[in-house]
Order: sequence, then structure tokens, then C-alpha cells
Amino acid sequence: MAILEATPASAELETSESQSADAAGLPDFSSAAYKDAYSRINAIVIEGEQEAHDNYIAISSLIPEQAEELTKLARMELKHKKGFTACANNLGVVADMPFAKEFFAPLHGNFQTALAEGKITTCLLIQAILIEAFAISAYHIYIPVADPFARKITEGVVKDEYTHLNYGQEWLKANLETVREELEQANRANLPLVRRMLEQVAGDAAVLHMDKEDLMADFLSSYQEVLLEIGFSGREIAKLAAAALVG
Amino acid sequence: MFGLIGHSTSFEDARRKARELGYEEYADGDLDMWCAAPPQLVERVTVTSRTGKQIQGAYIDSVFVPEMLRRFKTAKRKVLKAMELAQKSGITITALGGFTSIIFEDMNLLKEERVSAVELDWQRFTTGNTHTAWVICQQVETNAPALGIDLASAKVAVVGASGDIGSAVCRYLQRRGIGELLLVARRPQPLIELQANLGEGRILGLEEALPEADVVVWVASLPQSLQIDTSSLKKPCLMIDGGYPKNLDSKAAAEGVHVLKGGIVEFWQDIGWQMMEVAEMAKPQRQMFACFAEAMLLDFEELYTNFSWGRNNISLEAMDRIGEASLRHGFRALALSDQATPALATA
Repeated sequence: MAILEATPASAELETSESQSADAAGLPDFSSAAYKDAYSRINAIVIEGEQEAHDNYIAISSLIPEQAEELTKLARMELKHKKGFTACANNLGVVADMPFAKEFFAPLHGNFQTALAEGKITTCLLIQAILIEAFAISAYHIYIPVADPFARKITEGVVKDEYTHLNYGQEWLKANLETVREELEQANRANLPLVRRMLEQVAGDAAVLHMDKEDLMADFLSSYQEVLLEIGFSGREIAKLAAAALVG
Repeated sequence: MFGLIGHSTSFEDARRKARELGYEEYADGDLDMWCAAPPQLVERVTVTSRTGKQIQGAYIDSVFVPEMLRRFKTAKRKVLKAMELAQKSGITITALGGFTSIIFEDMNLLKEERVSAVELDWQRFTTGNTHTAWVICQQVETNAPALGIDLASAKVAVVGASGDIGSAVCRYLQRRGIGELLLVARRPQPLIELQANLGEGRILGLEEALPEADVVVWVASLPQSLQIDTSSLKKPCLMIDGGYPKNLDSKAAAEGVHVLKGGIVEFWQDIGWQMMEVAEMAKPQRQMFACFAEAMLLDFEELYTNFSWGRNNISLEAMDRIGEASLRHGFRALALSDQATPALATA
């Protein structure tokens, strides 16, 4: 396409670029403000990995024929938890676990309800799709601004999480015709929770140089991609994903 | 498979379009929502060349709107995410349309090939600038004589001459032979280099160049504040509006001043797509930006490479090649006679 040199748009772009270049440096990992924010973000990650472990074990009770695979996934989550605990120790931070438990409570509650009702689709959507897709996006955005120790650990974790996302994706894909309605319903009930959770920690994430809009956009891209793989059409996906943005 | 990455011309327009296409949630969303929204592959089409060859393509809306230009990170992410979606969708060659190529170039996104987990493969993308430059040159060559302007003696001003498209247009017109090239751009240094490179051309300020020019090729977008004193222009004067967005007709409307939408082509038959309507084409079923057509041409020709990439790399050979393909597959440059509303509107 045409264009350029004299565009008012590009003039604006140049200005913002220089501003952003100033802000692009790494955070001060030793500052009190960083450690304070890290104590909550890190706790969420640790709690998230623990819940993931528990959730995969729980899901295996609904799909006993795949218990072995699910137990393997669950074990990986515990390994991740250890890694992230080490990250906090490395920075001399104590993770604020009570905060994290409360943070996960609504999603945890929905998962438990679905589990009690034997709703495999809802359980998989919450754990293997929403939580995994969010974790992957958040880890990707975190990696460039992480301290060197945490960066290495997080890079290793991301690779594993793709396996988990893939597990849920393949199961739902294979069963799409029977699970479609439940999936849509579970999406409606849980996607807005993800957004609220993100909003709750946006301030802390910003201290870690992670931008809320980036997190949301990246998460939605991953989520859309999974829905596409599962077999939804473009328009259906846009509708499903919009639940995270409105309402 | 070819791909086109585009966007709506304004937020209001985007919401209206979203409603028409059945994306109700987006139509009701505010700008913050649109900023976080991921790109959408909204349409797939099959296109048949005049030679009979068929190709498949997809249109990706980057869910970017010009109102986001001030949000640097958002704009950058929108472009990269749309490219990522194109690549993941298995599209072999994708053209960046509208502001997306401007953002790509101005924000130097070549440095940012890593978008989350995906490494972008630049070979799969093209700015489409080679075809755009070729089409603009055709528009000059065809429409100037139609207005009684003899190119062999005409002065042609290129506004934005040192840019990617502008410099290619200069080289092409130089080879063709015209009266004189008037070189206009915002920054002086690249212009001096261009002049040295061409070995001809006169560097002028915009206000000095306009009254002298028989033909003005605009390949720089116009500042909102720009005012053109139409009384000082030559009559007739052919103005090719090759910038984005195309808003020259409102600034240069006067008798004897003929404004032609630049870098637009018309295909030989209707394409059954909805998306060009958002680009405000007069005949959305056949007309499109030449940069988009370049992706189709590269697919028709099975030239799976970033044909137009980087700045000032457009060679005359590449222009000839894409031009020849353009004609063969059934594209032609938009002409003054195609425009529904003549540029003779009262000032």
C-alpha cells in the first residue's frame, strides 16, 4: 500500500515509539514494589499449577480410560509448581497464597460443580483450554520481562503447557458434535471470569511490565486458535471469544 | 493460497460492518474492547484469472481501526497478530493493506518477528508496493494523454518521492521519459540521495511544486490540515491520489483538476466477496487496492516470496514483471473514466 513520509499518523507513531523505548527496559527486580506485586502474581501461578494438578486428577475420574495420560499431565503441573516456588525464593519473596486461593475461587467453584455433575466438557474447557491458554499467553508475555532465573524456568514450562492445551483440544475436537452446546454454555459462564481475574491483577502485572491489553489479546488469540482447531467456524469463534470482552 | 490483511476505515465504520456481518458483540463493543480483540479471518474466496487459473484466498481483518494509531503497542500488536493468523492459516502469500503496511514499516516491525510462540516467516508477506507503484505509473501514462497532457513535455511532481512507492514511480517515469520530475518529500536528506541516484529531478517544496505540475502523484498521506490553493494549479492538472486514506478529492476539487484514486485496480470479473465494501470501492466486486492484487498475482504466478519488502528495493524489472502478470491475469488500472463522480465538482 501506498504511503508514508508525510503522514500525520507516522509522526504520531514515531513519538510513541520513542516513549515506549524508554519504558522498554526490565523492571527493578529488587525493588519493594516489584517484590510486593510478585508475591501475588507468583502465588497465582503456584496456586494455578496446584489446581491444574488437582483438576487433571479429577478429570481422570471422568475419563478413566485416559487416566494414565491425565496423571502424567498432572505430574508435570506439580513440577511447574516447584519451579515457580523456586522463582519466588530466588527473589526473596513469599508468595501470598491466601490471595491466590481467593483469586481462583470462582473458577474453582465452577470446576467443582461441573465435576460433581460429571460434565467432562465443562471441566476440560475450564482447565485444559481456558486456564492453559491463559497461562501460555501470560508466560509468553512474562518471559521477556522476567528475571534471568525465572525466565529459564518459565521457558521450560511453556513447552509443557502446550501439551496440556493440546490434550483438551483433541478431546473436544473428537467429541464436538455431542459437546457443542455444553461448550458454548461453559464458555459463557467462565470466559467472563477470566477477564475479571485479569482485571483484578492488572495493576500487579503492570509492575512486572506486563500489559493488561497484551495479556487479554494474546489469550484471546490462543483461545480462538484452539476453538478453530476444535472445529468451530470463524463467526462462532468470534461470538464465543466476545464473551471475554463484553458482559 | 493468498491472503489479504485489511481493516475498516474508521471505528464507526467497523462497528457498522460488524453488525452487517453478524458480529453483534463487536458491533456493541467500545474501543477498548476492539483493542483487545484478536484478528478475524472473515472470508474465503476463489478467484479465477483470465487465463482460467484458479486460486483460493482469505481476507483477514486485523480488527485495527485508525483510531488506534495513537496506541503504539496496540497498533503494533494488531499487525503482528494478523500476520501470525495468516501464517497459521496456511496462507502462502499475504499482502498488508491500508495502515497495516504503514505501521509495519514505520514501527520497524521487522525487528519483532517473534509474536508469542510463532516465528513469522517474512517470505510469506508482501507490502504489495511493487504492483501499487506499477499501477500508479499506468494511471499516469493512460490518463494524462486523455486530458491532453503530453507526458514527453509534462512536469510530474511526486509527493513522497523518497518513499518506497514514490522512488519506484520516479525511476519508472524517468525510464519512460517525461518533461521533468519534481521531487517533493518531508525530509530533505533522502530526497537529495534520490536525486543523486536518479541523476535528475528538481527538489521543491510542496507549495512551489504544485503550481508547476501538470501531473501530481501523491504517495504520501495528506495531513488533515493540508490546504491546496486550487486557483494556482495548472488546468488541466491530473492528480493521482496514491496515499492512504484517499482524501485528496475533497482538498483539490476544482474545475480542470482531475483527481484519480491511485493504486486501485479493477478485475476482469466479479469476485464473490463482501470485504472490499469496507474499503469504499466504487465497484467492490471488482475493484481493490493494487497491493492486495499483488498477493493474488504472486499466487497466480506461484511466486511464493516476499516480492515487495523493505524500503526502496523496488526494481524496474520487478515492476515490469508484476505489470505483465497483472495484465495477463485480468487486472487493469482504474481510470478517470471509471470514476462515478467526476472530479469536476465545484470547489
